[in-house]
Amino acid sequence: MSISLEKIVQSCKEAAELLPRQGPITKFAFLNPLQGLEQVHFDHAMEHVGEIYNNKAYLDDYRYRAMLGRGRIKESDLQDVLTEELGARATELVAGLTARMELRLATLKYPLHFGHRRELDWVLAETESLRKFRPELLNEAISSRLAVFKQWIMAERPPDVLATLGRSLGWSASKNEQHFESHRVTDIPESHWEYVYLQTLWNAIKTGVHQRAREIKIHEFDSNRHTKHSLLDHPRMSEYRAATSDHRVDELMIQFTAAFVDQGFAQSKLPGTELGYWECFKQIFSQPSRFASRWRRELWKLLRELEQSDVGPLESIRKSLLKLNIADEDAPAFLGATLLSLRGFAGMIWQTEIRPDLFRKPSPPGTLLEFVAVRLLLLVLAKDFPQAPSAWESKPSSPTNFSRPQMDSEQLAFLLFELAQVLDWNPQTLRKISAAQWQELVVEMLEFGDHQRRRVFHAAFERRLAKMAMRTFQKRVTQPPIRPENPTLQIVCCIDAREESLRRHLEELDPTVETFGIAGFFGVAMYYRGVGDADFSAQCPIIVTPKHWVTEEPVYALEQSDRTRAKARRILGTVQRRFQTQSRGSIGGTILSTLFGPLATFPMLSRILFPRTTALMNQTARQFIAPPAFTRLHLERTAGTPPAKPRVLKDGTLDDLGVGFTLEEMVQLAERALRDIGLTKNFAPMILLLGHGSSCLNNPHESAYHCGACAGNPGGPNARALAMMLNDGRVRRCLASLGLSIPEETQFIGGLHNTATEEIMFYDLELLPSRKIKQLRAASQLLAEAARRNAHERCRRFESADLGISHKDALLHVQNRSEDLAQTRPEYGNGSNAICFVGRRHRIRGLYLDRRSFLMSYDATQDSANAAILARILAAVVPVCEGINLLYSFSAMDPGGWGSGTKLPHNITSLVGVMDGAASDLRPGLPWQGVDIHEPVRLLFIIEATTQTLLHLMNENANLNNIFRNHWAHLAVIDPYTNQMYRFSKDRFVLFTADGPDSNLEEVATAIRSQDWYQNRREHLPFAVIAATENGRQPEAAPQENTSRPTELPA
Amino acid sequence: MIMIVCAMLVVAPPAALALNIGLSLLLGYRPSEHRLAVSTQATVVLSTVAAVTLLIGMLWTDQVQYTLDVGRWVDLPVEHFHFTVKFLFDRLSIPFVILSLVLCGVISAFANRYLHRDEGYTRFFLFFVIFLLGMVVTSVAGTIETMFLGWELVGLSSALLVAFFHNRVNPVANGLRIWIIYRFADGAFLFAALALHHLTGGGDLNLMMGSKPWPENACVLESSHALIVGLLLLIAAAGKSALVPFSGWLPRAMEGPTPSSAIFYGALSVHLGAYLLLRVGPMLEQSLILQWTIVAIGCLTAIYAGLVGRVQTDVKSALAFASLLQVSIIVVEIGLGLRYLALIHIIGHASMRSLQLLRAPSLLRDFRRLEDNLGHLERPQDVANATEDVAPFKIWRFRFGMERGYLDTILDDWIARPFLSIARWCDRMERRFISSICSGDVDTSSRPNRTDETEAA
Repeated sequence: MSISLEKIVQSCKEAAELLPRQGPITKFAFLNPLQGLEQVHFDHAMEHVGEIYNNKAYLDDYRYRAMLGRGRIKESDLQDVLTEELGARATELVAGLTARMELRLATLKYPLHFGHRRELDWVLAETESLRKFRPELLNEAISSRLAVFKQWIMAERPPDVLATLGRSLGWSASKNEQHFESHRVTDIPESHWEYVYLQTLWNAIKTGVHQRAREIKIHEFDSNRHTKHSLLDHPRMSEYRAATSDHRVDELMIQFTAAFVDQGFAQSKLPGTELGYWECFKQIFSQPSRFASRWRRELWKLLRELEQSDVGPLESIRKSLLKLNIADEDAPAFLGATLLSLRGFAGMIWQTEIRPDLFRKPSPPGTLLEFVAVRLLLLVLAKDFPQAPSAWESKPSSPTNFSRPQMDSEQLAFLLFELAQVLDWNPQTLRKISAAQWQELVVEMLEFGDHQRRRVFHAAFERRLAKMAMRTFQKRVTQPPIRPENPTLQIVCCIDAREESLRRHLEELDPTVETFGIAGFFGVAMYYRGVGDADFSAQCPIIVTPKHWVTEEPVYALEQSDRTRAKARRILGTVQRRFQTQSRGSIGGTILSTLFGPLATFPMLSRILFPRTTALMNQTARQFIAPPAFTRLHLERTAGTPPAKPRVLKDGTLDDLGVGFTLEEMVQLAERALRDIGLTKNFAPMILLLGHGSSCLNNPHESAYHCGACAGNPGGPNARALAMMLNDGRVRRCLASLGLSIPEETQFIGGLHNTATEEIMFYDLELLPSRKIKQLRAASQLLAEAARRNAHERCRRFESADLGISHKDALLHVQNRSEDLAQTRPEYGNGSNAICFVGRRHRIRGLYLDRRSFLMSYDATQDSANAAILARILAAVVPVCEGINLLYSFSAMDPGGWGSGTKLPHNITSLVGVMDGAASDLRPGLPWQGVDIHEPVRLLFIIEATTQTLLHLMNENANLNNIFRNHWAHLAVIDPYTNQMYRFSKDRFVLFTADGPDSNLEEVATAIRSQDWYQNRREHLPFAVIAATENGRQPEAAPQENTSRPTELPA
Repeated sequence: MIMIVCAMLVVAPPAALALNIGLSLLLGYRPSEHRLAVSTQATVVLSTVAAVTLLIGMLWTDQVQYTLDVGRWVDLPVEHFHFTVKFLFDRLSIPFVILSLVLCGVISAFANRYLHRDEGYTRFFLFFVIFLLGMVVTSVAGTIETMFLGWELVGLSSALLVAFFHNRVNPVANGLRIWIIYRFADGAFLFAALALHHLTGGGDLNLMMGSKPWPENACVLESSHALIVGLLLLIAAAGKSALVPFSGWLPRAMEGPTPSSAIFYGALSVHLGAYLLLRVGPMLEQSLILQWTIVAIGCLTAIYAGLVGRVQTDVKSALAFASLLQVSIIVVEIGLGLRYLALIHIIGHASMRSLQLLRAPSLLRDFRRLEDNLGHLERPQDVANATEDVAPFKIWRFRFGMERGYLDTILDDWIARPFLSIARWCDRMERRFISSICSGDVDTSSRPNRTDETEAA
């Protein structure tokens, strides 16, 4: 009797859901690292991540306590969270001593010793914690306690306490009582009393806890919570995690898997990769080898046996499980642990299998199973050779274990000892309490353990941030909306949090400008290939698989020049490739290094010492061979359905038939984009669509700085495509028939905002009518000034930029960063994101959101009754923004666990990812240098819609439902008609009131300009209202605004 | 006079800075990032200017060799031993010291920004300055004992930098492994130094090689003596330059931050063995066997590095083996007596490889650009000949590369393991012996210390 093969396949599929979802690092995917657990409540998932992944959940206590000290968390927030959770239990007395709420608050507030067992040994042996009261206690409190204590001793004369006193004073052991009689109590110095008090306390608690601790089982904090996940609650998960991790097996698996997924780095390819993982492994390792490590010297025999008896990977998994003595019912958990033990590579293998379009060399289905089969085979072999007891081999791969820590009775006792001091439980009482009361105390301590404490801290922190954000929004939406009646310029940016500041500065600079936010792929999902690109890239959110293909082509007049330049590039490329391979070879290497080697110092010196100049020189030199400056998108397909892949003609060009969108498709996309952001009337004469990308050097994570909604590519081509569609006369005619008439004067221009250098460039300007040039010039100037201010605002976050830096130098500073070979922080990306607003910009125009908010435009008043527009917006925006936010937040919680650790030792492997140093698992996630300013918080969605709409949408869309109901992101709504705000909590909407009598919220600050608010400050700033936009409002616009208000805000 | 000042200024600033940083850390003062960066750069610039001035001065006065004697620091006339610190500036050491200083200067400028806000910033710069001092001392050493001093500093700082991320297991394990191999090589170096003292009455490199300046100087040692000393020095050089059979440590050294990997293993440290051989070049010519041994080891390493380097899938290992390949060719050149060529080769290779290693994180971007330049690329179609058998030799070659030539396993199983068993056996015997004479007072149950077990690596 043994496990069925289907069961094995199914278990592996389930476990694969828990693997990192990172494709190749060049197409950086911002997804929730725990996406596979979204059907479970966030809190519940976090409880188990320690066991499953050995990663930290939440931050360390001391960091939250520091926030408590700085006022980022208030004590009242902690109280609120505890009250909400505990309900009636909050006021119950624990062991008749203190209310549960007080007890838990004390545990949170004071830096008690929760640490490791060995730390406690040190504390007991080396510190004065058993001699002196905790530093929080004031002198008066101490003396009053001691006074009561002395009275008690006088009255009761407990012999053991007298013995302690005697020891402290050096009395002879047998005559304590007599000595005590002969002394006047007041003669004994206070320090001795203090010692005796604490010793008595300590002894009382130790005995009390020792007796009870053995009988107590840890109660789950909230045992009625149900898991829908089979692996999450498996009791032996952390045991299996230890059993399946073997340093020697890892080493071999890393080498072989890296060779297998190699996308073209190594000079020799792994022979036989096309046979699949399993066959290839068998082929390589079935040659006998005398010198292989001892533990796997018999591997070849085993492989040959499998070959002869024709055992496939699945059958082999079953056999290995038998050999490892894994019971059938435990097999799924064991397989899960096996997969997760080298999860970076396992995840990559899984991606090559399920997203073949992202890889140059994808893998056939079933590869992940073969990976498991090989690992189990090696584990079986390694079992007979226990790991050598040397200094490092016996340790697990991570020095700390974040699984649920086991507390022993002394640790518990010491915690209670510390609490007893701050909560004033005196020894005389504690000596008297009953066994049941001790039990109650111990259970309480276990129930509110490490994890629960951090969870409450985190909840309180998020709560404060969310409330302050909601309060700021509420204050703003009750003020009149700011909307230019006749906008001169409209700018549509990505929802990205980095564009928040750019938009704010634009609006501050010119009140007649209107800005919009839209998902950065502008609704145009496509595979795109630029004129100088080798391959297509998917330009849409990673959760979407595009169907259309678009290429960029040189304009007809420059085709000849393009061919010449392409040829020149090919020659250069061939030389480069020669150089690269030869410089690593023997003869070529010798010649190159002796003849030209010393010359390498020049580029090295100039690159490092003068990065910007070198970059400019390179750029200039490249211009001679760069693709021609004037190109067009091949955007239109005349007919037919788009093919799975465009055909390549004999001359190497693509078959036109498969490329582009049909007219109807273009009309659909255009209409959808405009309706999504509510831009259906009041068109400005010029509308800029700005995609965004980033540029940086020497950075494997470059793709993570590009547009997250374009699968880690720059979003320029999408903006350009949409602008081209909207400028097309035929499209406009069709749109007009659909009730969307765009004035003839209105011109759309696509552009690209470089978020690192703050450069903004536009596409297809040669097509611009000359009467528009003046407008464009004005718009460019405006954008340039806004970009300078934006650079200045960003610089406050960079420690290497002076706080007093001028606008001009700030721009230079950010540009230098992006060209600097040694710069590990070219920009901070979406770091520090915390909010996502979906609604009308003019309702919140003038809010300082500190680059922490995603901004999506949506006009509820234009939506249909069943909120069709909001439904499609949220279907894309919620998972995308939640993914970005959670990847940042998890990476910041445990940079070495969820994130990819520090960039310094990163080593690019197989062109798909990075390892730490010489050989490690692949490291998905964001590097520490990208998240060091990020505060982990779940994203707060603030959506301008009614509560009924949202409830309706959650019922319709399972994904939204999971994310919001299981609190992977927080949700609040602003009613577009009543301006009331509601917060979604425990499956229902609760009215938000900031100004209640018990409100602990600060007033929302106001500043004249953004710069006044952020100047000279590096840390996270509270949100504020910037008055400039109001003041700057044109006088003639103001009354109009007022008159138009009733129409915009129906009662 | 100027010459003395310049010669002093080459060595003194790094020493002063290392002392300064070390002492202030010891006293609990943590210098700011800015201060560390500025002082390191000032030191490097000062030393470089001094070295260049010295070079110009020597060219001007037509002097091909300049010695700075700092005196005997230890003198034991009875034991016939003395420790003389002497610096030698000649056609070999000046280019090498300038190379070291320039590369270190570049790397320090790089590391200043690369390690910004890292918690190990100060530690990195401390190790870095010790390394710099070691490099300078080794390059301009005039006696074998001075050279040993620098050699040790380089070894110590390298091992510590490999283990820079000491909160993870692999860096520490690999750092320890490198440290053990270095100790082995250093042992050979020390024996060589003692043998030289014994044979010539002093460790003066100049004296021992004859009076003429490098590279024309002829060795005063006899052939058989030269063979013994030479073989010992060869072991030392092989350890430091990762020649066969010690090659396994080189890719493992890529655990530190990128700049340290670049400078230590790509550029400077790995050439130090070759430099040592170059320094004693005239001595090598005394023994034909020695020369051929060197050529043979060089060739073996070249074949090894060529085979293994081809299959590496990560950029740092690939560059490490590419470095090793060039170093082994340099060793062959030295064995063949082509000393100027070897010197130029070292300088060129060090510069080129440093640049490549510093740019290693750019690989993806460079690769993409290269592909873009090569033009439109269609994905390979499903390979039709999937069932075709691969030649067994190809498989063998790949496996050899992937297992890194089994060198580590061979060292573990054939050197470390027997050594450990002997040590354990001795330990057991000793305990038994002691307990027999002490009538069982000694606690025999406690296992021997961990230190020798860690060598099992």
